[in-house]
Amino acid sequence: MITLGKAINMGLRRALTEDPKVLVMGEDVGKLGGVFRVTENLQSEFGEDRIIDTPLAESGILGTAIGLALRGYRPVCEIQFDGFVYPAFDQITSQLAKMHARSLGTLKLPVVVRIPYGGGIGAVEHHSESNETYFAHTAGLRVVTCSNPNDAYWMMQQAIQSDDPVIFFEPKRRYWDKAEVNEEAPSLGLHETRTVQEGNDLTLISYGPTVRTAIEVAAVCAKEGRSVEVMDLRTLSPLDLAPVFESAQKTGRVVILHEAPTFLGLGAEIASQITEECFYSLDAPVLRVGGFNVPYPPARLEEHYLPDLDRTLDAIDRAFAF
Amino acid sequence: MALRDFRLPDVGEGLTEAEILQWYVAVGDVVTINQMICEIETAKAAVELPSPYAGTVTALKVNQGETVDVGTVIITIEDGVAGESAPAAPAEDDRNLEVPTGKPKQAAVLVGYGVKEGQTPARRARKAASGTQEELGESIVVELHDGPVVAKPPVRKLAKDLGVDIRRIRKSGNITRSDVLDAAMALHGMEQPPATTYDPHREDRIPVKGVLKEMAQAMTTSAFTAPHVSVWLQVDVAKTLKAVKKLKDWEEFEGLRVSPLLIVAAAVLQAAKEFPKINSSWDEANHEVIIRRYINLGFAAATPRGLLVPVIHEADGMDIPTLAKELMALVDTAREGRTPPNRMQHGTITITNVGVLGIDGGTPILTPGQGAILAVGQIREIPWTVKGKMKVRPICQLTLSFDHRMIDGELGSRFLARIGALLEDPSELYDESDAGDDE
Amino acid sequence: MSELQLVQILSPEGELLTDPEYLLDISTEEIRALYRDLVMVRRFDVEATALQRQGELGLWAQSLGQEAAQVGSGRALIPGDYAFPTYREHGVAWAKGVPPEKLLGMYRGINHGGWDPRDNDFHLYTLVIGAQTLHATGYAMGIQRDKSNNAVIAYFGDGATSQGDVNEAFTYASVYHAPVVFFCQNNQWAISQPIESQTKVALYKRAAGFGFPGVRVDGNDVLAVLAVTRAALARARAGEGPTLIEAFTYRMGAHTTSDDPSRYRLAQELDEWKLKDPIARVKSYLTRNSLANEEFFAGIEKEAEAVASKLRSDIIDAEDPYVEAIFDYVYAEPHPILDAEKSAYINYLESFTEGEKK
Repeated sequence: MITLGKAINMGLRRALTEDPKVLVMGEDVGKLGGVFRVTENLQSEFGEDRIIDTPLAESGILGTAIGLALRGYRPVCEIQFDGFVYPAFDQITSQLAKMHARSLGTLKLPVVVRIPYGGGIGAVEHHSESNETYFAHTAGLRVVTCSNPNDAYWMMQQAIQSDDPVIFFEPKRRYWDKAEVNEEAPSLGLHETRTVQEGNDLTLISYGPTVRTAIEVAAVCAKEGRSVEVMDLRTLSPLDLAPVFESAQKTGRVVILHEAPTFLGLGAEIASQITEECFYSLDAPVLRVGGFNVPYPPARLEEHYLPDLDRTLDAIDRAFAF
Repeated sequence: MALRDFRLPDVGEGLTEAEILQWYVAVGDVVTINQMICEIETAKAAVELPSPYAGTVTALKVNQGETVDVGTVIITIEDGVAGESAPAAPAEDDRNLEVPTGKPKQAAVLVGYGVKEGQTPARRARKAASGTQEELGESIVVELHDGPVVAKPPVRKLAKDLGVDIRRIRKSGNITRSDVLDAAMALHGMEQPPATTYDPHREDRIPVKGVLKEMAQAMTTSAFTAPHVSVWLQVDVAKTLKAVKKLKDWEEFEGLRVSPLLIVAAAVLQAAKEFPKINSSWDEANHEVIIRRYINLGFAAATPRGLLVPVIHEADGMDIPTLAKELMALVDTAREGRTPPNRMQHGTITITNVGVLGIDGGTPILTPGQGAILAVGQIREIPWTVKGKMKVRPICQLTLSFDHRMIDGELGSRFLARIGALLEDPSELYDESDAGDDE
Repeated sequence: MSELQLVQILSPEGELLTDPEYLLDISTEEIRALYRDLVMVRRFDVEATALQRQGELGLWAQSLGQEAAQVGSGRALIPGDYAFPTYREHGVAWAKGVPPEKLLGMYRGINHGGWDPRDNDFHLYTLVIGAQTLHATGYAMGIQRDKSNNAVIAYFGDGATSQGDVNEAFTYASVYHAPVVFFCQNNQWAISQPIESQTKVALYKRAAGFGFPGVRVDGNDVLAVLAVTRAALARARAGEGPTLIEAFTYRMGAHTTSDDPSRYRLAQELDEWKLKDPIARVKSYLTRNSLANEEFFAGIEKEAEAVASKLRSDIIDAEDPYVEAIFDYVYAEPHPILDAEKSAYINYLESFTEGEKK
């Protein structure tokens, strides 16, 4: 049994071993091993040239990573916390996302940007954001997120191998969740949705930190006589919705769960696509459960903000009431 | 020698117009490429424009002090180069920044982004949609596929409101409002037989859909709304048969099928013209009887798809050769199962030829919405009397059913008698020039 | 300008000077070649400006007046050195061998930069102010890891020095000793804002705050620029880290063809700078010392006209992009969803009857 954080560390280690062009760079990633210890011991093994402690400048991290990528390297950047990505937003959206198209395909930027995201750790301001939608909305980027150690291990390697820039969201409150990791082979590609468990009455879709919540919700529903199919999106851009449509056509009821605010969150996009593709199959409109449309509140109020078991069950009840 | 137009460019990213402050050249002047030819003033700056062409100025199209839109031709220069005059830019509303063709084309001068005033928005013409209109045939044949219940959300609500369990509606494909209503009627009218298992060795189950369903619905509606009365008549059709033989040889009928049914059709049309009230319809909603002044003659046909009633529209205006042609086409198409839906609509009176099935007559059920239907039996050689003498004659039984709400016994009977008379002597129906011997 | 401290080897009048710190080893042939470069670059820029005024380009950013700063630094580079320009370094592009007509594509709106940077080690033009300085620094960090002898030159203007990215680039380059030369063309204006609105201290002095050397050079003196840039590149190659070069020059034209400088600066200023013209002084030097004759100058003029004429016909004949180009280059890896979007749009376009082609 391996923690999610450790699984990422193992994935990075394997990538660094297999490809000498892979670099890791960010604030405190080297000597300290990262504030969540995700990059622990990498610098002692691979050296300061490859595991780089950068100055405290996010735009600088991304900008120099782009330069390194232009020179043929495969940098894995770390942004220390979700709320601190904004200084780098211009480099990410104006440069990282666009350079391949701008250069008509001649310049590739195989850069990975790791971002710990989400709340539930009792943190101070700016440390609990879910800002994945800004990046999913930016053409030219790929955006993925893991929910469990096995996916963390494999998706990190797959993201590094991609020739496109990948924003890799890590659910920080799940860093210490443990589960088995199969080091032999991945079960899925980077951009594939996973059916976590099957069901017939309702489809519950989530990603990242709330997948565990979804599984708990399904267990409660089972006791109540409702069979809930749980899906882990894993890839936010591009979305892999074919399995989702199949599920919606089977169950006729869909609830989407994420920490990010519901307004213009990923759930809105998915709901719209399900409605278009599965209209004749729906017994109820697609419902979304997410954060409120407010700045993330102080730690003592975050339990109200974060969509939990009961809020999700409430949405499921409403879905069945139609 | 080509005339080159120079259109006022957008010199400042989004400018829509400029004033010509001063011309530096006059008509007749010789200019070189990039020679400054005028000064313009825009919202952003005063700018000099260099000539894009070398040659002789043939026209200054705008006066000093005049303000013109970006894209307006301001000067014409004859460039002394052989070849056709190419305009400096293609047609007016050019937005060449968005050209998708990828073909190397005449360089288009960037003429800015402003929309010209006075252009009414209009939709660009699209090609007719091709090949996707399979819906035309869909109403007749519904595809079989298994799967979960497929119904639009409002239909589901209706089902719920009416207490119908939508999953028990036995239909593949999209469940419609009407399906739900049918189910509701059945539910409230009759017991639903419990869903039991059946022994496939001893019985077959055919889903009620498509033509079967259409027929069932039509017959039920008709039988239980219109009071049907039937009258019948046996007719000596010897002269009809003779006429058929004769017409076959006529030039007008070359290549056309001539059969007794054709003569019957002509007789029905003639009689209907004489008794217009027979060609009518009961309009319950408006509490009116509709008497139609045109006759769309339907023919009940047994087709590979089942019982259908294709129609010859405006049959009353046709002469017999035309009628023959239409009838032939109708029959052939129906036999191949290719009758399109619009050819099965709006019939006003129907003929059903039960004779081909070896039947003398019957009590046909009206096609819903019509007032009368004529069943034509087989032609049999039976003993008959002609002028008091016993003879074997070809005899055909005609049965007319009619809607006794608007057609009474007298009308029905007279109509049928007239048809019979026309079949006994069809000479009225066609040109007499080649009249044959009377028997 | 003589009051300012700056490195100068060729005076505005064409007189050769000596700077003890920057001794330039250069032949007559090389100077004649530099003269040719300057004339070609200016003629190219003038022609592009005219093409914009004729509607062939939507926009043009003129390099007029900055030829010496760009040619001098561009010619200091050795093969394999990588240049990261802003959007005005046509003189550097020329020195690196980028076909001139390729610089016009983005200004014409047919692409966002129409050359392959790897062909001439000249990056695409970057329009976000200062962003490229970080790319240059990262590239230099890559060169370090490759243990290569090459260096990187990052171009930016006086306005860009206010951007966070530029200052972050200085930070990264200095702490990592990255082999990058920061070449700032201080052309005195950022659109309508003069240098005084960007800084309280002379730009070259900024470097000291970051711990690396800064030098101000007469940006209109091609020989001084060449000497100073060579020195800075040598430092970089030797592992001594970055240098900040402030090339003191003047933007003789407008910011771009959409701009009207008469609204914010005086004609008198322009006249003063005309006396410091970068090309005139070289011509003066060559003529005075009988190092070039009329035939030479006439030949250069003729060649310049040919360059201009070719540029004109190249751009007028330039192909417009295929609509598929909107979709085809967004991702390096396959992207079925985008492919579907493209197909749907192509079908939609084909559903219209001929006549009004969009």
